[in-house]
Amino acid sequence: MSALVKSPPLSQPSLLAEIRALGAIFYREWKIFLRYPSWVIALIVWPVIFPAMYILGARALAGPDGSGLTQFLHAAGTDNFLGYIVIGTTVWMWQNIVLWDVGFALRQEQWRGTLESNWISPTFRFSFLIGSSLAQMVSVVIFLVVTLLEFTLFFGMRLDGSLWLGLLVILAAIPAIYGLGFAFASLVITAKEAQNFVFLVRGMVMIFCGITFPVSVLPGWMQGVANWLPQTHVMNAMRKALLTTGGLPALLPDLEKLALFGVFWLVAGYLLFVWMDRRARKTGAIGQF
Amino acid sequence: MMSIPVSYAQPSWLSHLRALFAIARKDWKQYWRYPLSAVSSVFQPVIWLTPVYFMGQAFSVNGQARGFAAYSGTYDYMSFILLGTALSNFIGSVFWGMGYSLKNDMDAGVLESNWLAPLPRPLLLVGRTLTSLLVTAITSALMLGVAGLLFGFRISGNGIAALLTALPMLIGLYGFGFAFSALVLIMREANTMVDISSYMVQLFSGSNFPVNVLPRWLLPVALALPLTYGFDAVRGFLLKTKTLLPIPVEVALLVVFMFIMIWLGLAVFRRLERRVRMLGTLGQH
Repeated sequence: MSALVKSPPLSQPSLLAEIRALGAIFYREWKIFLRYPSWVIALIVWPVIFPAMYILGARALAGPDGSGLTQFLHAAGTDNFLGYIVIGTTVWMWQNIVLWDVGFALRQEQWRGTLESNWISPTFRFSFLIGSSLAQMVSVVIFLVVTLLEFTLFFGMRLDGSLWLGLLVILAAIPAIYGLGFAFASLVITAKEAQNFVFLVRGMVMIFCGITFPVSVLPGWMQGVANWLPQTHVMNAMRKALLTTGGLPALLPDLEKLALFGVFWLVAGYLLFVWMDRRARKTGAIGQF
Repeated sequence: MMSIPVSYAQPSWLSHLRALFAIARKDWKQYWRYPLSAVSSVFQPVIWLTPVYFMGQAFSVNGQARGFAAYSGTYDYMSFILLGTALSNFIGSVFWGMGYSLKNDMDAGVLESNWLAPLPRPLLLVGRTLTSLLVTAITSALMLGVAGLLFGFRISGNGIAALLTALPMLIGLYGFGFAFSALVLIMREANTMVDISSYMVQLFSGSNFPVNVLPRWLLPVALALPLTYGFDAVRGFLLKTKTLLPIPVEVALLVVFMFIMIWLGLAVFRRLERRVRMLGTLGQH
């Protein structure tokens, strides 16, 4: 009687294997990014030209003698409209980039025809999203540094606050911003062409969160909606951190809310991912596009 | 005796018109295949203008933007911006219609076969803008209606004169479009190029603000763009704003620029398109 010899599987899922997989995903995404020089150019040009439209509009509204600034100071608590708008538009662009890049990470795998084969690898499936997000975070760091350098060196943006507190706000914002991206990426597995969802989410941020204006000028019901959007608190906290000298105590109310939003969106993003993954495998939608 | 077969393709003005119509009809069918895009093109500009509206409120006293009036000659900053946005939509439609459509054809693998059609190639590009212009006219009118209800939109001047002024501006824009399409052929990438170029043209021609707020070192860029005078003259007619130059001078400049841009754009297009054919990269993407 011949004994059936069971060969050990070549793939042994372990923490180290997961880290190696994350590294491989990161490396792949980064190589793809560098393959298209126009994406790199966009990373340098957009941080200036996107806020420029609003900044020049604000300059026109302020008037040649700066008479409109008194009113802005009264409403926003600062006359530094340049810094105010740069922070608002940068947070908007950050969320927008995350929605497109992280949100469509799995969709791009569908287009390339690699999602199904990746899905049957012994890698934890959520790692594909985390790996893409890590690569995306590096480009966001470059984007934020470029924005800061361009506006402080060439346009004389004044920052009276602390860059360290600004960094703290960025760290506090990551769970909410990327959690939303994960939730969105999960929806896209089934919904496929979901560009209009991106337009909806970024449109809401644009309308309610005060990217160029203090939320206090909004009608009451709109202020209520703004309060439920994490990006409002990211902008608030970032403006307090970088433009004012209030220090950490001034940021705490917004940081607390960001922590709650972060937990909510990370959990929601993960649960949605598990649900959509199961649904897509049942309906066979994983490999379809 | 061997008879020479008559060519099926007999290029004439009529066949060119038929081709233009066929291209426009194909694009029209394709556009309405995705009705959500139409809804999106009405509401997207409104969404983008909302922060401007509320920003204006933050700078205004009793609803009056006095600082803005000192620059532009009107307190009504929203009508000023809405008019600029409607005109900008046409800039976008020419850039996307000409440049991006070539990229779409490249990706779909039909560019080479289209290039073999017995139709002047610039006309092929013009054909790609026809539907886009018609759709832009419809969606811009709807956008003005929606934005007018939300933010207020009041014009009081001579609409026909404004329309006649916008015409040479639009025709001149085709010159830009020809040169730009040739660049897309060479670079084989369109999305970022179209996005950044059309945004920068809109920025510097003052679609959302009077150009005299630009820093001195950037003002020459705005003044070198014919579109700046187009925006300015149309606003001068419809909103009675302060114009950079007397309106008849701006209109004359637009007409002169129209001829120069068409000539220049076609020259660039012919040169680069020839180079692409010599390199043999027309079918690549």
